[in-house]
Amino acid sequence: MAVEIPVDKWTGKIRELKFGGGGRKEVIIGGASTLPYLKFEGEPCNPTRVAITIHDCEPPYPPGLLSAWGDVVKDPSEWAKKAVEIGADIICLRLTSAHPETANTGAVEAKATVDKVLSAVDVPLIVLGPGVAEKDNEVLMAVSETAKGQRIALGNCEEKNYKTIAAVAISDGHIAIAKTPLDINLAKQLNVLVSDVGVPMDSIIMDPDTGALGYGIEYGYSINERLRLAALMGDSMCQIPIINHAGPETWRQKEARAAEGVPAEWGSLDERAVIWEELTAIACINSGADLLVMNHPKAVEMIKATIGKLSA
Amino acid sequence: MSKYIATRALRGAQAVVKEAEDALNAAMQSPGPDAKIELPMTAYYLPTIYGMLGHKVEKISDLQWVVDYCKTIVSPTPADNLWTPYLGETLDAGMATLFAEEVIEGIGYAKGERPQSKNGYTYNGAIDDVQMRTWGVALVDGRMTGFAAILGRAKNDEVAVKIVRELQAKGQLCFFTGDPNDGGDFITDQLLNQGVELGYDTYTVPLGNNTHSTIYAAGFATRAAISFGGFEPGDARRNLFYNKFRCFAFALALGPIDDLKYATAAGAINYGFPVIADTLIPNISPVGVTQYEHVVSMPFDDIPGANDMERAERLVEKCIEVRGIKLKITKVPIPVSYGAAFEGEVVRRADLRAEMGGKRGMCFEWLSMAGMDEIEDHKIELIGPDLDVAPAGTKTPMAIRVKIAGRKMQIDFEGVLERQIHHFLNGAEGIQHQGQRDISWIRIHNSAVEKGFRITDLGEILYACFKNEYGAIIDKIEMTFYTEEETVAKMMEEARAVYRERNERTAGLTDDSVDLFYSCTLCQSFAPTHVCVINPERVGLCGAYSWLDCKAAYEINPHGGNQPVPKGTCLSEEKGEWEGVNQFVNANTQQAIERFTVYSLMDAPMTTCGCCECVMSILPEANGVMVISRDDYSNSPSGMTFTQLMGIMGGGAQTPGMMGLGKTYISSDKFISFEGGIKRLVWLSKNLKEEFADQLQAAAEKVGVPDLIDKICDGDIAQDSDGMVAFLTEKGHPALSMDPMM
Ligand code: SF4
Repeated sequence: MAVEIPVDKWTGKIRELKFGGGGRKEVIIGGASTLPYLKFEGEPCNPTRVAITIHDCEPPYPPGLLSAWGDVVKDPSEWAKKAVEIGADIICLRLTSAHPETANTGAVEAKATVDKVLSAVDVPLIVLGPGVAEKDNEVLMAVSETAKGQRIALGNCEEKNYKTIAAVAISDGHIAIAKTPLDINLAKQLNVLVSDVGVPMDSIIMDPDTGALGYGIEYGYSINERLRLAALMGDSMCQIPIINHAGPETWRQKEARAAEGVPAEWGSLDERAVIWEELTAIACINSGADLLVMNHPKAVEMIKATIGKLSA
Repeated sequence: MSKYIATRALRGAQAVVKEAEDALNAAMQSPGPDAKIELPMTAYYLPTIYGMLGHKVEKISDLQWVVDYCKTIVSPTPADNLWTPYLGETLDAGMATLFAEEVIEGIGYAKGERPQSKNGYTYNGAIDDVQMRTWGVALVDGRMTGFAAILGRAKNDEVAVKIVRELQAKGQLCFFTGDPNDGGDFITDQLLNQGVELGYDTYTVPLGNNTHSTIYAAGFATRAAISFGGFEPGDARRNLFYNKFRCFAFALALGPIDDLKYATAAGAINYGFPVIADTLIPNISPVGVTQYEHVVSMPFDDIPGANDMERAERLVEKCIEVRGIKLKITKVPIPVSYGAAFEGEVVRRADLRAEMGGKRGMCFEWLSMAGMDEIEDHKIELIGPDLDVAPAGTKTPMAIRVKIAGRKMQIDFEGVLERQIHHFLNGAEGIQHQGQRDISWIRIHNSAVEKGFRITDLGEILYACFKNEYGAIIDKIEMTFYTEEETVAKMMEEARAVYRERNERTAGLTDDSVDLFYSCTLCQSFAPTHVCVINPERVGLCGAYSWLDCKAAYEINPHGGNQPVPKGTCLSEEKGEWEGVNQFVNANTQQAIERFTVYSLMDAPMTTCGCCECVMSILPEANGVMVISRDDYSNSPSGMTFTQLMGIMGGGAQTPGMMGLGKTYISSDKFISFEGGIKRLVWLSKNLKEEFADQLQAAAEKVGVPDLIDKICDGDIAQDSDGMVAFLTEKGHPALSMDPMM
């Protein structure tokens, strides 16, 4: 007996979002008109893209992750180059050193780092501030100016601090990342607020947050999915591509860090950590991520293979 | 439009366009038609001309087109016998004035005569790229509240300084221009005389030594709008709208106003920037091009105030108000700490310095709406003895009288705002507040008084909190605290009359009297298919949001969780089903809920999230319904506790026969009216029966069964079905003989 596959008809579509340009490679994400990769429901869209995290200073990575990258972690432009070799569609640069509790570097250093990375690679860039409102604004203003015309993404715009980043993104033609803490209402509201300041709807990407496998992935999954459903049903304020930091979330967790004091059945740390990252990323893809941010070269390889199969 | 202003502005425009033409003719000779016009440190063209007309000026000859264009839009001055409205002509003349001024300044730069200087002081001149970006971003992200273009000369040097200090304190970027006609010194000189440090860093920027240089401020506004508004140069309409709604700028004309200033002011009005003058000129009050009044005249010496400093303060306040600028207060200026951490704090008897209200005390809060001109913003007064004179532990009678004025304030918001006092005052360290209206009760800790806390500080707290959280509807707040027994007692009676009147008004607010309900989707974070539809006769099911609360919340934040829901066509009066409500609910529940009735428990009832105050469930054996409250931990005749019931129906499900509700809905006229209303109520949590005894009694009388409440079973009588039915039968509960519910 032939099984009939039920087909949902959607009226909404995720906006397409273009990174790069102005001499830089262009990467387009979004455009989905179905739930992820359900090709029988509608036109296939841009596949999920993969960005790789790099830092502007040597990050406190666990040894396995650190050694996977080697010496390049000491130099953001070398790191960026290696990330592109491994397959990064986009580089996600974290200005970790700008945090007041680390080196507390400022606008000048941020600009220099971004200039270096921009000239080292030709893929588009995401630049994230240290996550402290005042510092974020300070460094991202400088970053925005130096990258004018190359359409990078700046983040994070958060509910309590979004206007400055949004303003410079508008004036320099960049993308604003709207980040909210696992809450669908806030996610939508922040999209409204950011677009209200004047950021065009095709220049916003939202980060509705996610947890790693075992650490709230189900929340992240459900928020992604509900945003996607709302978007497909026609809610224009949710029709914005989603970015998920699957890598960074995973590597914060014990399963990716602990080699000792854990049950023997957990197996080898290196293998386990990479699989942990991969599974977290797959859950993000399944629930609607348009752009993944990853950490481990091996996990990138695995997830790219998965995306390839899904798109085939 | 005032004919006087129109005439002067048109005359000014004609003169300045002529001046531009002459300057251009001369410049065509020298430095010649091909001489470059470049503003220093900018990669941009003359910004106003480019932004508004899309015309790029790179060299002297490019100005010819601009001058010709100006001539076409300046009409002749109105004849004496003509009394038509002149708004259109005047606005056009204003634009022509700005273009002509930019032509003149541009030629100045081509000839190397700009920026101007005087007595060794060099003015800023054109706004360069770095300034443009820094200030532009600050305007967009709100660090800067707007900008003020100040023209002319203040009454004296001290007044000049005071005005600027006040504007700085309010986060305004200040531009200064003046004219040799102003009689020697103008505002820049006045500030310099007083040793005020001017410049880019202090957001105080003298533009030039002539009225023409005001154009740099307009150029800044024009360019910032293009940069942050995302539209093309030449799109004048969007540019002007952007400025009207997003750039909170205004012009302040100090001292006598000549034709050119009138004409320049007309130019500013195009941008939605109102003009405030400290001399006597005609007002242009109707709103339109600007958000509020176009032109406001406040002759300086007539401004109420004890001295010139106070008058200067008032003048600035007026500017802020007319431009509709809302300020945020970052720190509550009181001698004790303030924050959420202190909200639950209790002041014990041993530490008690003063107590207002409570048992045998007298304390009340009365907030009312006032006209914009009736009150003075931030006036906080104490009439009677203060905390430091009260012996420790004494009772102080107190009246808190708050008056609020706002262009978007409504009388309906009085209650909503008054109820915030509790939450606001509790945030202060050493202050404990309970209750509201005439049952409010305040306790103040010894240490707070020792640190210098006084009664008017209560006012400072309220001022800051109201302005910050309700700034969208509040422009002015005035507060008086009374602590003399006799006055308080007398005012208390007045206040009670107001409370009664307010109660009546709320009672008169029925579902039928409104066209709009409100939604609340705050609970969607955890119950994605839940929407509370809140109508005047039913609160949200958590009890925290009434229809009026939602209305106010929507005014304050139009993007928030409370949205208006137009009722639309009525599909069933009895069940309370409207087309508009159905559509809204459908669109906002991921299309999970198709229909939604407001007055029925059995047919498409409201969904239930997780935070309802009570749960209602059908009891078929009694042909009625039960209501159990969240604080009732006992079992119920349904066989389930509150928690178990929630487990079945929470999370956004629509469950015919079961529904969450706010406590006050029980005594509402619209309580499941389709199924027969309160007469269906057969079992009710004991605590609710007690808490709402009066309201329930009134509701029972209204439906003609005055002894109904005694016939309703509760947890003390029976927690099981059989026991309840026996009780109902014995009492002859009306539900037993009503039509079957199912
Ligand atoms: S229960 Fe209260 S907070 Fe939740 S949606 Fe309803 S009214 Fe809003």
